[in-house]
Amino acid sequence: MNSKIYTIAYYTFKEVLKSKVLYGVLFIGLAIMLSVFVASEFTYGAPFRVAIDVGLGLLSLSSLGISLFLGVNLLSKEIESRTIYMIISRPVTRIQFILGKLLGLIGVLIVNTLILSTMIVLVTVLLGNQIEGLFFWSILFNFLESLLLLLVVTAFSLVTNTVLSSVFSFVLLIAGHFIADTQNIMFVTSRPLLSEVLKFYHYVLPGFYKLNIKDYVLYKQTLPTDFLIMNTVYGLSYSAFLLFLIIYIFNRKNLD
Amino acid sequence: MVKLEQVEKIFKSDLLAQPFVALDKVSFNIPDGSLVGFLGANGAGKTTSLKIIMDFIRPDSGQVTFSPSLGNSRIEIFKKIGFLPERPYFYPNLNGEEFLNMLGTLSETPKAVLRPRIKHWSQVFSIEHALKRPLKTYSKGMLQRIGFLAAILHDPEFIILDEPLSGLDPVGRKGLKDVISEVHKKGKTIFFSSHVVPDIEEICDRVIFLEKGKLIYDGSVQTLIHSSPNTEIAIKVKGNREVVENILKGENLVKSWDDMGSDYQYIKVSAESKQKTLSLLVNHSIDIVSLDVEKPTLEEIFYKIKNK
Repeated sequence: MNSKIYTIAYYTFKEVLKSKVLYGVLFIGLAIMLSVFVASEFTYGAPFRVAIDVGLGLLSLSSLGISLFLGVNLLSKEIESRTIYMIISRPVTRIQFILGKLLGLIGVLIVNTLILSTMIVLVTVLLGNQIEGLFFWSILFNFLESLLLLLVVTAFSLVTNTVLSSVFSFVLLIAGHFIADTQNIMFVTSRPLLSEVLKFYHYVLPGFYKLNIKDYVLYKQTLPTDFLIMNTVYGLSYSAFLLFLIIYIFNRKNLD
Repeated sequence: MVKLEQVEKIFKSDLLAQPFVALDKVSFNIPDGSLVGFLGANGAGKTTSLKIIMDFIRPDSGQVTFSPSLGNSRIEIFKKIGFLPERPYFYPNLNGEEFLNMLGTLSETPKAVLRPRIKHWSQVFSIEHALKRPLKTYSKGMLQRIGFLAAILHDPEFIILDEPLSGLDPVGRKGLKDVISEVHKKGKTIFFSSHVVPDIEEICDRVIFLEKGKLIYDGSVQTLIHSSPNTEIAIKVKGNREVVENILKGENLVKSWDDMGSDYQYIKVSAESKQKTLSLLVNHSIDIVSLDVEKPTLEEIFYKIKNK
């Protein structure tokens, strides 16, 4: 069973790799180095902060872009172009197929994260600064955020078309980042019904804001370990829930 | 090999749309070792039937049963099935060899067996030179051929092909038909859909006709052709037309008449009138030069059934 998941994951990874997506990643890596070099000429005493800020921002953009744009086509394109028929007409279960496809794309996310975070570390060290432990938590959270978005867009792509899947997922991503702050504004707190609706949304839909700790890394603030562990568990549990949902829908879906 | 019983499939695009009956209680059986053609116009329900057999979509009612010789579980059964979808479009960035290795591995074919098989079949299908090239550089015919290769790579017992000859040039069609016949001779069961009647007539021993989701005919190709009332007997005789006409007049036997000069006549009669016509001609000492059975093609029969 596992060897079939591995085979599908391996060739999915290879297919994406050959589609020159990683050229884009390397280009972003170069952009990080260039922007830090330029910033170090204009900013006095803070090029390190620029390196971290731009680096983590571009890493986030790149990971979320891969999740959104490759994730939306992960299954829909397979069904549309009938490539899926060549695979599941073999002794392969639908669960093996979906796990293989997702693992292949997760592999691409890991490579993307490794390349760009290495660039950031390299630039920071070259500038004579030290990397704090929170930076690595931030990298992990960035990966969890892109994983969550990948699963959200995959789930949407099973029930609607690619354009709507992308739009819905993007809206959830934006809303998921601002939901906590929105709940505290006076416009909401003065309206109990709206407050309840947002509270419900907060508990049910993915809280992407929980996986964003860039500000803490930038300003060298510390975060309690149990907070970091709890948020990691949140990201992983939500991903597991979405994975089960995707498998449930995909197992019952008519592939026509 | 596979049996469909009262299979029904209704599609409804949205809540307000009229339901569309793609398959209307269709039942048929593909016997072990047969080469069965699946005929029908576009939209007749052929691909829907194949998708139901392959478990890509589920029927609203009815059932599909595989022969116990294929196995008991889905995994066992699908290990022995080879499938080629209609108009396949494969992973564009993988090369031919990677694509075949992936599918062979997923079919649990050992690597030691896979390599020589890829080599052998890629030579047969004349794509050996392109195996290292990305699939996006392949022509439509090459994709069709590598798709067929992938379908038979794991030496399956039951091969299902959806429009395997579409997109191929005449040479490619001939080559693929030869391979289908060759594989069938090795005892494999082949079920292939097409809307091109002569292809089915040429290589299949049985045919299943679908029209607007309904089964119209299921049986031998030859029985269908021979049982057709359109079968005609062409008799060439030596003699004056007036003389021959006088012998056959009043019996209403002749369907058409070709005057081939003053000495020879070419008469066409129905298969049922053959004996009587020949008796009359022989009794009147008319010289019968030749006798030919002119069968209608499957295509002619298909359109006749379709237009009924």
